[in-house]
Amino acid sequence: MSDATRVLPVVTDASAPPATPAATPVVEQPWRPSRGGWVARGVVWTLLGWVVLALPLNVLSPFEVGVTDVDVASLAVIYAIGALSLNVLLGYCGQISLGHQAFVGVGAFASAYIVTNLQLSFFLAVGVAALFGAVQAVLLGAVSLRLTGLYFALVTLAYGSFAQETLFGITSLTGGEGGKPAPRPEFFTSGYRYYYLCLAFLALVLWIDWRLTASKAGRAMAALRENPRVASSYGIDVRAYILVAFAVSGLFAGVAGALVAHHDEVIVPSSFDFRLALLFVLMTVVGGLRSRTGVVLGAIFFALLEEGALVSMFRLEGFFEGLLGLPTEFVSLVVGPVLLVLTLTLYPGGIGQQVAPIRLWLTGHRFDRHAGAVDDVEVNDVRA
Amino acid sequence: MSVLEISNLTIRFGGITALNEVTLRAGEWEIVGIIGPNGAGKTTLFNCITGFYQPTAGRVAYRGTDITGLPVHKRTALGIGRTFQNVGLVKNATVRENLATAQHLQVSYDPWAGIAGGPTTFGEERRIRERSHLILELLDLRHVGEERVADLPYGVLKKVEIAAVLATDPDLLLLDEPGSGMGPEEATALGDTLLELRQQFGLSIVMIDHHVPLVTRVSDYVYCLNFGEVLAEGKPDDVRRHPEVARAYLGTEPETEPEPAPEPVPGPEPDTTPTLVGGAL
Repeated sequence: MSDATRVLPVVTDASAPPATPAATPVVEQPWRPSRGGWVARGVVWTLLGWVVLALPLNVLSPFEVGVTDVDVASLAVIYAIGALSLNVLLGYCGQISLGHQAFVGVGAFASAYIVTNLQLSFFLAVGVAALFGAVQAVLLGAVSLRLTGLYFALVTLAYGSFAQETLFGITSLTGGEGGKPAPRPEFFTSGYRYYYLCLAFLALVLWIDWRLTASKAGRAMAALRENPRVASSYGIDVRAYILVAFAVSGLFAGVAGALVAHHDEVIVPSSFDFRLALLFVLMTVVGGLRSRTGVVLGAIFFALLEEGALVSMFRLEGFFEGLLGLPTEFVSLVVGPVLLVLTLTLYPGGIGQQVAPIRLWLTGHRFDRHAGAVDDVEVNDVRA
Repeated sequence: MSVLEISNLTIRFGGITALNEVTLRAGEWEIVGIIGPNGAGKTTLFNCITGFYQPTAGRVAYRGTDITGLPVHKRTALGIGRTFQNVGLVKNATVRENLATAQHLQVSYDPWAGIAGGPTTFGEERRIRERSHLILELLDLRHVGEERVADLPYGVLKKVEIAAVLATDPDLLLLDEPGSGMGPEEATALGDTLLELRQQFGLSIVMIDHHVPLVTRVSDYVYCLNFGEVLAEGKPDDVRRHPEVARAYLGTEPETEPEPAPEPVPGPEPDTTPTLVGGAL
């Protein structure tokens, strides 16, 4: 009797014997774009592909001055991985982490150590970095399992500064203030090739993130974020799945860390400070929690802003530096919170909400400019 | 062997004794009704059965095994499913997503295989979707499948909740006020649904409801709780006529109006206890 799994289809068949075809769900034919519609979508897809793949090549860049530096583009991709990492915790589980720089840093130093000190291969190093990221995240998660909301945020904040001041200061492992060299792998030493490598890792992370949300773990996280009691009554082990979220988040962060280490080719503990954690929060929230597209776009936006690329691209130095007296390197710390407030009050879905109509159109749906609207401001988005 | 056996269950919150020495049992295929005024401890009892509360004393046994210390999700895995008084659904998800979530334990793949996008997960996800579809069809809820839970009216949600709890594949169903927010006709229909579900899935059901006509019609056995204690128990009509029960509900002497209600309830029946309908809302 405990397997109504088997009982159920039999029962429906028995209750309605002539309507057995109804057992296979009748799916209403969904709306399909016309041929012209497909062509239009194809054109946009090609354009997007060209922007992503060829923009850093600088040949046909629409902005000749801006993103000329392919390293900035790589950094944007790496930040996207880091932001997706935070999105797993903050978006899917509702656990706000203010110590994400430590997550990334652990991966960075692990990878640098393996490549420089142990002379092992880069790809192995990325794997180990991901593992290290996951393990430290699970440890932090296990320690703070009973905490939610602000209290959890405080623990991560403390953990972040602990890692920055203490963990990353162990000279034998991290090279101390002098930094640790982290050479790029043989084939990928050029900026372009490294960029494509980062893109490949982003694709992998996006795949995992997609499957996470489309499988039982993602559903469990969505349920426990909103209502842990209901989740457990569905048979979900709430604590176990919070730890799964930590593990996945740490995994992504570890990958991002390894990539950023070999991107800079030398890493210093001071680059993993609170500002980085703050940036990740901004990317994720302004990008739009739980929206993959939004988080990636948010990450790219803040990466370009942080690196000064956006400011110079639109020739805004005069405005920020001249008019407001704001040096370019601080622009993101002023613009970010402003955007954060605008997001929280006007568009809780962030960039993801803004681009949702386009995203849906691109994936073969009818264009609906209200699509993807987040009408309820989830005030208690962070589990209180 | 009884499906559920609660013996001498006591729970105290600070100085308040919410349940005192409650003993209750539900047999195989039985529908047990629990009635009682607000604050009698009915939902607290459910919370002890499902594991949200740890009783101060006493024992909860499911099919002969002591489950008093088990966490909630393990009890669900054993086959105890419950609904909540104030709708236990994920409000920002659609009905279908809720059903998929509720089938958490029916999904055969490992969560990590799902995250990695293992080849078996795709077929399994399709199976889960089809099973959700069947359950919705069974409860005549197909039309709300794509609706967000937060957008649906209360009465429909109570049915969706039953669909969700069925998706967890329970043996023992604990329903906390399934009939609240429903009119007399809807409550009658709900009673039919419950009887039918018991038949189809071989369920045992324990239900709390203020809708006394519904409870007396579908239940095989009824307990009446008051101030955390079992005030009366027995066949539905015996409990209904029990002098203490009427006193607990109405605060008056009972024998003024015995009113033997007709056994089958024809549609909107003359409600003997009108004050109790949807009392917890």
